[in-house]
Amino acid sequence: MNKLRKFAALALVVPLSIALAACGGNGTASAPASTSAAASGPKSGTLTVWCWDPTFNIYAMNEAAKIYQKDNPDVKINVVETPWDDLQTKLTTLAQSQETKQLPDIFLMQNNAFQKNVINYPDLFKDYSQSSVDFSQFPQGVTAYSTVDGKNYGLPFDNGTAITALRTDVLKEAGFTIDDFTDITWSDFLAKGKVVKEKTGKPLLSGQAGSADMIMMMLQSAGASLFDAEGKPTISNNAALLKAIDTYQQLVKAGVFAEVNSWDEYVGSFVNSNVAGTINGVWIMGSIQSAKDQSGKWAITNLPKLDGVDGATNYSANGGSSWAISSNANYELASDFLAKTFAGSKELYETILPSSGALANWLPMAESSVYAAPQKFFGDQAVFKKVIEFSQQVPKNNTGAYYYEGRDAVSAAITKIVNGTDPSAALDEAQKAVEFAMK
Amino acid sequence: MTRALRRAPGYLFLGVSALLSVLPLYFMAVSATNTSQDVLASRMLPGGALVENFLALVASQDVASAMWYSTLNAVVTTVLALVVCSIAGYGFEVYHSRGKDRLMSFLLLAMMIPFAATMIPLFQMFASFGMVNSTAAVILPAIATPFLVLLFRQSARTFPHEILEAARIDGLRELNIFFRIFLPTMRSTYAAAAVITFMTAWNNFLWPKVILVNNTYQTMPMLISNLRAGYVTDYGVLMLAVLLASLPTMILFLVLQRSFAEGITGAIK
Repeated sequence: MNKLRKFAALALVVPLSIALAACGGNGTASAPASTSAAASGPKSGTLTVWCWDPTFNIYAMNEAAKIYQKDNPDVKINVVETPWDDLQTKLTTLAQSQETKQLPDIFLMQNNAFQKNVINYPDLFKDYSQSSVDFSQFPQGVTAYSTVDGKNYGLPFDNGTAITALRTDVLKEAGFTIDDFTDITWSDFLAKGKVVKEKTGKPLLSGQAGSADMIMMMLQSAGASLFDAEGKPTISNNAALLKAIDTYQQLVKAGVFAEVNSWDEYVGSFVNSNVAGTINGVWIMGSIQSAKDQSGKWAITNLPKLDGVDGATNYSANGGSSWAISSNANYELASDFLAKTFAGSKELYETILPSSGALANWLPMAESSVYAAPQKFFGDQAVFKKVIEFSQQVPKNNTGAYYYEGRDAVSAAITKIVNGTDPSAALDEAQKAVEFAMK
Repeated sequence: MTRALRRAPGYLFLGVSALLSVLPLYFMAVSATNTSQDVLASRMLPGGALVENFLALVASQDVASAMWYSTLNAVVTTVLALVVCSIAGYGFEVYHSRGKDRLMSFLLLAMMIPFAATMIPLFQMFASFGMVNSTAAVILPAIATPFLVLLFRQSARTFPHEILEAARIDGLRELNIFFRIFLPTMRSTYAAAAVITFMTAWNNFLWPKVILVNNTYQTMPMLISNLRAGYVTDYGVLMLAVLLASLPTMILFLVLQRSFAEGITGAIK
């Protein structure tokens, strides 16, 4: 008995002391050493970059390197392939162990995670508002993700503007065209969706059950958020959120939105022609185009807007990512590199678009002829130009430090609501969960 | 005839269970030969895209290097872990004392601490040794595990003390008793421990991912993770990589299968 008590005490003390050791210490980040000379003349050095998709952002980074190397042949870009989830784990480990020396010069970060990381781990980032990068050439709604206290920590890379992509052949069967789904409201969408379902048997949309993606896009389209300007959660009594959830529920009930169990099933649902469309960030076009037999049968348009909500628009966003410069970077070189490529080279964006579908946030690209070219897969629509136009009208989204906690709580609430719980009660509970997480 | 009939429901149940357990493996193998679109459509027949998938995989990832470092890590970890833990387990049992019992209980407590809690201090430690980005840093923390020490200690308990006494009287030195008598009789325990350690080391993901900051020494699980990172996943290529990554553990298990079962159930010849 005595023995047992001793062990119980030990069992408590050991993990505790380890946890304490892990939390302790709050040293200062080492100041970045600026090694390169002033702006003039070719530069030299190596930039290490963490990003994650060989056909997308890694490809884009390597193309950027080639362009920069024309004027600066002695600069090397070393890309380390690091999937986003692993990148976040590495950043957390490095920040908590104060080993910022191991950071690369540049890393890519999901827009939704930006605020959280800058607020929790400021030692990892370098403010580059004063660099030669002109942040005003990006949509405000997008730079807002990576701006904290008026300082720019990230250069927007891939576009997360939301699109409605629909199968024109299925719409035709039901007597509609893509124009019938342009600049409409969700109640219109629902009514037309029911007709499509009735005549063709196909739902218009699909998505993962228990995922808040759709709701968050609806919310942002009305300029609403789960948090107020001070970062306090505003989940309960949030009119836009209640309307979004109500709309979602009606879509599911009418069979216009098919719920599936996983991301892979979601992709499968439109690749296998089980649903007639999808609403998501523009990057979903990559998955849509993997079904080569559906070429010419797709078209895109803007989103339906919420009925009766102040500030509702037909534009939203989901995802997207931005380049951060680390506190351990060769700052002069890294900022000059980004300014001359991702924030200054039409050639770069025109090269990467056709082969990777990486769509710029950089506004000068709206005039590019490559962006205006009709796309065969999308029935000769100039889809890229369209998306750049959409992107300028996307309302700003206040993500805050607890975006993911808020999103998770709302996801849980949606599951409860779909199963019959009263929406305002479920949201009150979600509000409490987020407040608890913030303590 | 009646006996066969009586047994039929049992066989049916076992047959269905076996089928259900094999199905995911079958799907993995078949999907490696199909295109991404066919995988998403759950095609259950072999397709003709194996070569295509292989070329795409090799073009985007350095599979040979990842296989080599995975093998290196797993083999070195297994050999060292078996040596260290079996000596420890043997010592705990054969040179028994109250103090050692306490120490053993303390070791077992360590099993309760999740790795996530020790990861950051561990990282700091290896960083201060200048060992970030080295295979040694991947291997070292995996060598001594409380579970293996416990496994060997329990099997040492079934080792007859009379043999030990007899060997001592015959003048065999302590270390030789371990190597010449204990080790050969405990083959099945070693086999079980080898399979478990190899599998854990081969599948280890979090720690290698964190300590190997650049990808020079990337392992297979890290490579598979890369394949799922993009906006578009090629499921055929992914399944092929998963298949390649599971082959070594499957082969090892099949080779040591009989001893493994004996080792786990604690049989001694």
